[in-house]
Amino acid sequence: MNINVLYGTETGNAEMLAEDIAAELEANHEVTAINLSDFDPANFDADTLYLLVCSTYGDGELPASAQPFAEKLESEQPDLTGVHFGIFGMGDSEYEETFNGGPKTLAELMIARGASQLGDRIAHDASGTDMAEDIAFPWAEQIVGMADETIGQAA
Amino acid sequence: MTGQIAIIGAGPSGCFLAQALLKSDPALQVDLIDRLPVPYGLVRYGVAADHQGTKAVSRQFARLFERQGARFFGNVSIGSDVTLDDLRGAYDAVVLAAGLSADRALAVPGGDLGGVFGAGKLTRALYEHPEAEALPQLGPRPLIVGNGNVAIDLLRLLAKTPEELEGSDLGHSPTDWLAASGIEEITITGRSPAAAAKFDTVMIKELGKLGGVTIRVLGAGETDDPQARKKLEALAALEEGEGPRRITFRFGLTPIAVEGDSRAEAVRFASDAGEEVLPCSSVLTAIGFDAPGDLPRDLLLAEESEGKLAEGLYATGWFRRGPRGTIPDNRADAKELAERILTEIAPDTTKTGAALLGALPDTTDYSGWSRIDNAETANPPPGRCRVKITTREDMLRLAREEETQ
Ligand SMILES: Cc1cc2nc3c(=O)[nH]c(=O)nc-3n(C[C@H](O)[C@H](O)[C@H](O)COP(=O)(O)OP(=O)(O)OC[C@H]3O[C@@H](n4cnc5c(N)ncnc54)[C@H](O)[C@@H]3O)c2cc1C
Ligand SMILES: Cc1cc2nc3c(=O)[nH]c(=O)nc-3n(C[C@H](O)[C@H](O)[C@H](O)COP(=O)(O)O)c2cc1C
Repeated sequence: MNINVLYGTETGNAEMLAEDIAAELEANHEVTAINLSDFDPANFDADTLYLLVCSTYGDGELPASAQPFAEKLESEQPDLTGVHFGIFGMGDSEYEETFNGGPKTLAELMIARGASQLGDRIAHDASGTDMAEDIAFPWAEQIVGMADETIGQAA
Repeated sequence: MTGQIAIIGAGPSGCFLAQALLKSDPALQVDLIDRLPVPYGLVRYGVAADHQGTKAVSRQFARLFERQGARFFGNVSIGSDVTLDDLRGAYDAVVLAAGLSADRALAVPGGDLGGVFGAGKLTRALYEHPEAEALPQLGPRPLIVGNGNVAIDLLRLLAKTPEELEGSDLGHSPTDWLAASGIEEITITGRSPAAAAKFDTVMIKELGKLGGVTIRVLGAGETDDPQARKKLEALAALEEGEGPRRITFRFGLTPIAVEGDSRAEAVRFASDAGEEVLPCSSVLTAIGFDAPGDLPRDLLLAEESEGKLAEGLYATGWFRRGPRGTIPDNRADAKELAERILTEIAPDTTKTGAALLGALPDTTDYSGWSRIDNAETANPPPGRCRVKITTREDMLRLAREEETQ
């Protein structure tokens, strides 16, 4: 399967995780990790699975590298019907009310444009005891499994 | 080999720079040198003990040494153990990422009285930096001068109850010191009006979680700017607690003198309404940082342009930009500089690189730091995630220990 791991990051944690996920899936799939700042929403493709990895900044906002992408989703309103994505969020429970606000916003924007979310949105906690990759690898496998059944079916 | 680069300082700026360099060119030899036996700079000794999530960025930095081929040379002070010129002679490029560790002085009459403490000094003592002085007596009514995030960090830690420090890496003696501080009231003062204060809104919101305090906000004023309004709203929302410790925010106060016989007893301020004297039992200054003087920063930066100081010599992070900006800002800065270095570097195979450092006694390497790190995190007491090794001697001893089979 063709997989793009798209990451939105401010201090690089999401980037490192995205690259780890890509490395983990590489053996069996065509995988590329791409910064959301380098990805044009016009290039979404129904035959590719998108794994989004995104952190949270400021007061529950998107991290810097995801902001131009989010702005384009809003201003250009691309039609993402048929596009499948899973989303792994990063945040810190110290920021109570705004915990994982960034990925929440990102998922909502994708869905509003017609994209379909596979699986639950995961919310990693930087103040928790779990290593991000320990949760993310099984999550990625699970989403890929779900995508196996959906992506390609239409084609 | 495509070149050898020495980075002075293994704080976030140095580490992000090494990361960006090695990502573009994995064949580079990148050596991170730090005067402490342990890496990560202010991530370890500045970021608050109760902000462990922020410290998690060091997992990325560990990668540098574990997988990307960067090397760590700890306990090497550039300027005394090795001169900057010798280092430049041994490497194709040298980057100053040494931060700014000295507290900017409160330059008013009485600013040097007893009982006036800089935030850098105080946080180093709280976080058990190996060169820290003993934690001082603050008395029942410390007054904080400054309105940046560092000032808010200090305020929050001083105001926390022992239970609120659960999960942190605050050490045993600082924890006892806080519990016995006898602080009744903390006043925090800023020069600007609240709307222009430097602190981030989230830092203020976090204070709303404190259980042991009653917070008053005086003279916060008003604003038309929506961003600034969030700050004022966050401040206003603080005035709800009913805890025993009193916290008072004051704005628009410029300190003009610290008063007292041998020890600070009050601070005299100028404000729009005239002069005002606020009594206190100690003064904590959080008004920025300066170079400690071990490297001639002003001279070095005299010709600086976008991170380049001279042929093969660069600077990044707080050392270059001054004491402003958070960890993400250093990342952006480091990425730009990495690109520049990569286009300019001219590898010279006669340069001997780390041979210069290999000759020094008592240096630590990454495996030595791993042993220290493991010792610190192996058996923390309840409510703590780490117990720091506090002296240089103990760090060096642990770093030298062979791993037991
Ligand atoms: C108290 C405090 C709290 C903070 N909290 C936060 C926060 O919560 N979140 C956030 O994003 N930012 C925070 N910051 C800001 C953040 O710490 C800085 O942006 C960042 O650390 C600057 O990185 P740096 O690498 O330039 O400097 P530093 O982190 O200071 O690293 C410099 C390194 O150089 C070494 N060094 C110095 N001189 C020499 C020499 N002569 N030879 C060899 N090595 C040398 C030092 O030992 C140190 O390890 C805080 C700052 C302070 C002071
Ligand atoms: C200044 C700052 C603000 C943050 N704000 C939030 C927030 O509002 N909500 C949240 O869940 N996490 C917040 N975080 C935590 C980050 O999302 C978390 O540390 C994450 O691992 C960072 O990933 P990144 O390096 O890819 O950006 C914040 C972190 C910082 C340093």
